Amino acid sequence: MSRFGFRVILALTLFAVAAGGAAVGVGSAASIESALQDALQPSAAPALLGPITEAGRKGWACKPEQAASARHWQDAELPPAAP
Amino acid sequence: MHCRAAAAALMLFACAGGLARAQTYGSATPPPRTTDVRQLRALAQAREIHERFAIGIEAERKGRWNDAAAEFERIIALHPGEPQNSTAQYDAGIAYAHLQRLDDASRAFEAALAGDPEFLAAMANAIAADLMRGDLPRARRIADRFVRLAPQSARALYSRGLVALKQGDAAAARESFAQLLQTDPQYALAHYNLALAEIQAAQYAAAEQELRVALDLAPAYARARFALGTVLLREGKRTEARAEFEAVLRDPSGDLALRNLALAMRDAIATP
Repeated sequence: MSRFGFRVILALTLFAVAAGGAAVGVGSAASIESALQDALQPSAAPALLGPITEAGRKGWACKPEQAASARHWQDAELPPAAP
Repeated sequence: MHCRAAAAALMLFACAGGLARAQTYGSATPPPRTTDVRQLRALAQAREIHERFAIGIEAERKGRWNDAAAEFERIIALHPGEPQNSTAQYDAGIAYAHLQRLDDASRAFEAALAGDPEFLAAMANAIAADLMRGDLPRARRIADRFVRLAPQSARALYSRGLVALKQGDAAAARESFAQLLQTDPQYALAHYNLALAEIQAAQYAAAEQELRVALDLAPAYARARFALGTVLLREGKRTEARAEFEAVLRDPSGDLALRNLALAMRDAIATP
């Protein structure tokens, strides 16, 4: 192989290694950023409210409707404050 | 003197009579007696609806969701009046959601709202179902309506804030969680979610403040501690950020994925 051919192959190899490294770096940074986004998710969605009898939501004992209109989180069946 | 005593005795007698009347049972409702076919059919249908509600609700309490769905589907097919129609749709929606038939659940809650437009529990569950389906625009539409109808409802404000956060609408999320905190300043989750809204709006100082309040209220809230670490990092407070990530790592009961991420973040921060 001529000296010129060897230099060309060496240059191409170095370029390929550098490009590969950069891609890994970018991929790693992207995966950390994506993991960070996953970690900074809002708290859990509230669970479904329970069933209602045929008397309907306007009954005085309709707990789901009371929970839906409650002013305080403890009465609203929201996720607990200390997960 | 005698006259006063007689008047007092008369009043006592009158009151006792009233009390005694109040404690007696009313006359029994007479059983329906008819030979009219239409009336008999209506009575039979009312009885069927009554029984199926009882069976369906019992099935939901026991987690037999297929059985429950079948009972409420039959009630809906009988076209009952209100409130039974919207209630049956609502109960069917719960069964469908547990069966992971989320599109059916969403449709059932929507039908409950069509029958009774101020049915708050149906709004709450419709949002929950739409969040499970990932249909954020629909969840948001119902959440906005929920807040308009019940502006003091903790559930309405929490749901709207959550949907807005997922949509990246920091202003609406901030508004909802700030309003929720006016009534419930001790609710750590609302402080955490408000902090996320501040992060979305790049208001890191405000986010830090909310996360510190959340952690004062719930010191074991690992996700809030991790979020505080990332906020401190964005504020350039590397040593403090590192300390928060280490605190997440020290919690043995914490979420493993979160601990691994905290480890990576801690190691990525060069020691001074």
